[in-house]
Formats: sequence, structure tokens, C-alpha cells
Amino acid sequence: MDDIITIIKSIILLVAAVLVILTAIGIIRYKDDMERVLYARIHILGVIDVACMVALLVLGEPLLAGVYFILTPFASHAIANGYYYGEDKDD
Amino acid sequence: MNLFVISQYVLMAALAIFAVATIRIATRKTIAMGLVGLSGFTIAVATFLILLQNLYGIAFCRDIAMALLIMDMVGTIAFARVLRGYARG
Repeated sequence: MDDIITIIKSIILLVAAVLVILTAIGIIRYKDDMERVLYARIHILGVIDVACMVALLVLGEPLLAGVYFILTPFASHAIANGYYYGEDKDD
Repeated sequence: MNLFVISQYVLMAALAIFAVATIRIATRKTIAMGLVGLSGFTIAVATFLILLQNLYGIAFCRDIAMALLIMDMVGTIAFARVLRGYARG
């Protein structure tokens, strides 16, 4: 018989798995001819970022989750900023 | 096989499906879309490696995941800087 902590951890991992599947559906759902679809995809990636951070915390890796929690907003901002000011407009 | 191990396998399967979706995004023709796809692919692979470490006891998977995360962030920021253009600073 599992204790209550293990059951809560399992439920959190299953919820993270559901969020990952929903993200996979959402990220390929929009067509490429849609205007500014890149921002929508960056927004959708925020879901799996949080889901994987919670999964990493449950799996006993707080350092990895903390590093990702700090670094991922910078990367998302860099992509959006580069796309906004750059010349790459062929979406 | 208890509930925790089963939920870990379910998360591994979900991450594998998500990795295929991000590869599809990363192979679009624009640079920014490739960056978005690779950013999602990296966190999926890192979480997958941590699950591998927990399930099979492969200790160095944690180091690979840490290196992968940090180098992905550095590479994404550097490539986005190039995408923005040097002239605008």
C-alpha cells in the first residue's frame, strides 16, 4: 500500500502528463499562414515549462527546476524580441 | 509496479509525443520557429532524462540534463540576438 505522499506525487505527475499532451496538441494546431503565430506558440510553451518544472520538483530535482525557472523567461523574451525587431517575417 | 512508477512511464510517453510535435515545429522555414521548437524539445528531453535516472538508476543523466538546459538557454539567447540584427544593438 502506497503512502499518501507517493499517491500525491503520482497524481501530480499524471496531471503534468495531461498538460504535456494538451501542449503537444496546441502547438501543432495552428496553421503557419496565421498572422503572428509565433507569439501564440511561445505562449503555449509556457504551459509545458510549468508542467516540467513541477514534474522536476516532484522527482526530487529542485536545482534543475530552479535553474529552468530562472532562465526560461529570458529565452522566451529573447525569441519574441528577436522576431519583433528582426527581418525574419516569412511566417 | 506501484502507482508512482506507472505515472512516471505515462509522463515519459507524453514527453515522447510532445518531442515529436516540437520537432515538427522546429523544421519550419523560419529561424524563430526553429528556436521555439528547440526550446520545447530541450525541456522535454531534460525531463525525460530525469525520469530515466529515477527509473533505471543511471546517475549521469542528471548531469546531461543540467548541461542541456543551460546550453539551450545560452544558445537560444545568442541566436535570438543574431536574429534581431547587429545594427539595432
